[in-house]
Amino acid sequence: MSRPVTQLTLRLRLPSTMSAAVGLIAVMAAVGALFPAVGHSIGKLHVPKSVGNLLGGGDYGTVTGWFRSEIAIIYAPLVIGALAITGASAATAGEEEDRILALVLAYPIRRSRLIIAKAAAIAAVVLIIALAVWIGLILGVALAGGGITIWHITALAVQLAFFGLAIGALAITLAAATGRRSLATGVAAGVAVLGWLINSFAPLVSVLSWLKYVSLFYYYTGHDPLTRGIDLPSLVVLGLVTFLLMAIAIRSIERRDLRA
Amino acid sequence: MQAGPVIATRGLSKDYGSGRGLVELDLEVGQGEVFGLLGPNGAGKSTMLRLLLDLIKPTAGSARVLGLDSISDSLEVRGRVGFLPGDLALYPKLTGGGVLEYFTQLRGGVDRRVRDALVERFDAVLDRPIRQLSAGNRQKLGLVQAFMHEPELLILDEPIAGLDPLVQRSFHSLLSEVRAQGRTVLLSSHTLSEVERVTDRLAILRNGRLVVVDSVENLRRVAVQRLEIEFAAPVDPAEFRALPGVVDAAAVDATVTVSFEGSADPVVKVAASHYVRAVRPQDGDLEDIFLRYYRTDTT
Ligand SMILES: Nc1ncnc2c1ncn2[C@@H]1O[C@H](COP(=O)(O)OP(=O)(O)O)[C@@H](O)[C@H]1O
Ligand SMILES: [Mg+2]
Repeated sequence: MSRPVTQLTLRLRLPSTMSAAVGLIAVMAAVGALFPAVGHSIGKLHVPKSVGNLLGGGDYGTVTGWFRSEIAIIYAPLVIGALAITGASAATAGEEEDRILALVLAYPIRRSRLIIAKAAAIAAVVLIIALAVWIGLILGVALAGGGITIWHITALAVQLAFFGLAIGALAITLAAATGRRSLATGVAAGVAVLGWLINSFAPLVSVLSWLKYVSLFYYYTGHDPLTRGIDLPSLVVLGLVTFLLMAIAIRSIERRDLRA
Repeated sequence: MQAGPVIATRGLSKDYGSGRGLVELDLEVGQGEVFGLLGPNGAGKSTMLRLLLDLIKPTAGSARVLGLDSISDSLEVRGRVGFLPGDLALYPKLTGGGVLEYFTQLRGGVDRRVRDALVERFDAVLDRPIRQLSAGNRQKLGLVQAFMHEPELLILDEPIAGLDPLVQRSFHSLLSEVRAQGRTVLLSSHTLSEVERVTDRLAILRNGRLVVVDSVENLRRVAVQRLEIEFAAPVDPAEFRALPGVVDAAAVDATVTVSFEGSADPVVKVAASHYVRAVRPQDGDLEDIFLRYYRTDTT
């Protein structure tokens, strides 16, 4: 680790992170405030099961279902994924393509330490967003009239943070291996969206139900943290994936030529 | 302090696949030298400098820097070298001061007084974001960060590019001081006039190959100079063609352009027999200046 690298990387990511965090909290508060007015009528709608799965079970009638469909399944992972992926790619391959690393790596710092220091900054971004989701949910649920315990809200935030770390690590690995920012961003985003689709549709097609296990999304929300709390095995999987990806990232950037 | 050369490459090669970056370079730079790497764009200068710092890996051969292996001891090499990359890029959102502070922390052990003296010397702009700075002002920051830890070896890729004449002079005097302290400088350029006054020896690269290594003095003796001489009335260029060392002479209206190797004396003396309005030295391409080396092999 290198403290100046982590500090600078975080500092450069902070404006977008803070505005996303504030936006998240505001939206979740608004979603919570809306529930008393529309939740009961929407709850009676008949949504096709496939669409319902995409939206987190289609159970709009309860506060838990409402937040699961609005926040947990789409909004929170979208924001955390977008910030982790763009932040990770910009801080690594982005700086390489912009020729900044051509000077930074002429300093006495190992490439592995540089990557780890940058990963630490992206981890901080992920944690800030997860914290914002936690605060936003507490606020939103209160405005909705209660219905989810703080423990279950915490569970969601923790699962989300681990999901964000794994997605960020994926982007860092792609960036470290190729030095290409758009490739890292595009492929990592593709993997995230595909995981979301798999998680939503695999349960509907029994021959494909095993597929859900390859989706990072499954380990985030497959066990429904808003009703069942933290799922330790999922966290272990996400943690191992993060760790493994970082190991690959370190190895691949040590070996190759700097691009620009 | 090591006894041998500060930089020594043996068969150092880089094949990018699409094109040869550097072909079997054998080169030695001694302690206290200001050594110039001269070559047109694409000659392999940046490739060589990047290989020395382990930014890219050689496809063959090896390099020793400060007596250390450029790959396995790269961390120590980078700790003892100051580097200015060609086509310098810095964090666009940081101010000049922010960038220097970052590199100071990253480097560790920098004497801030030395750094601040360099800032003053180059009149570097610290309070504006990098993206608002001109190329020349960014280059000044690049020079400050390269020199600020008083490294025993400086590797500077096209350091003079974009500097205005005043700053060039500060840079030249800094180089003289560095040399006087027994420190070593390896710098690259694609124009002879930029480096002939500051370097002791020159290596000329072309298409990744070493063309010649010699002292600046010797190279200037064979370098083709070109003078544009404006007369009051048309002068027959044949008067110049007959002179020793003259390679070419051509006239447009009352202006004669003469290319010659070696001393300018015969050309100037013939010109002086007419009324001379102006004399303008022309910066030629390296191929024109070092005709002697370039015309022999045709690639
Ligand atoms: N990353 C790269 N990939 C492919 N070819 C490269 C790369 N970098 C440089 N080259 C090629 O290697 C040759 C030498 O380039 P370079 O060392 O940058 O030259 P110089 O610095 O003398 O202008 C050029 O033909 C250039 O196109
Ligand atoms: Mg170059």
